[in-house]
Amino acid sequence: MRRATMTLVTAALLLTGLVLTSPVAALDVGQKAPDFTLAAPGGKQVKLSDLTAKGPVVIFTFIQAFTGT
Amino acid sequence: MSADHVATLEAWTKQNPIHYTILSDFRRSMLPAYDALVTDDKSPIYRYAKRAYFIIDKTGTVRWTKVEANPLDLLDPAEVLKALKESGV
Repeated sequence: MRRATMTLVTAALLLTGLVLTSPVAALDVGQKAPDFTLAAPGGKQVKLSDLTAKGPVVIFTFIQAFTGT
Repeated sequence: MSADHVATLEAWTKQNPIHYTILSDFRRSMLPAYDALVTDDKSPIYRYAKRAYFIIDKTGTVRWTKVEANPLDLLDPAEVLKALKESGV
């Protein structure tokens, strides 16, 4: 029983290590864009799929507000 | 879109009126999925958005991407508009 538990714990740690060390895959053209829901000023929640339902979307990510970036 | 808190973006848009949707990914839920999160091994709190551009068509498919390695590299908006036209969305 103890051996089985140790084996399970070891397997879980190995899997965790694999997940944590895997590089993040870049998003490729032709791939489905991962859907998301994010907060907007004014207490609104905005969902990507609601935006794309109305038409194409251009997403621009920037580093920080109140800076030159 | 940035990793700023929504209250920060709210204050910022009051000072700089912006006529398009601005979103906060404060919990860093969207940015990693888009490979648009930059981190620093030396600082666990350094988790900011990269400067990146994505064109998504109405079916939710990625049609064009540009993720800048250097955050100081800023695309000419004309280049994004050209990509938008050429993507045929």
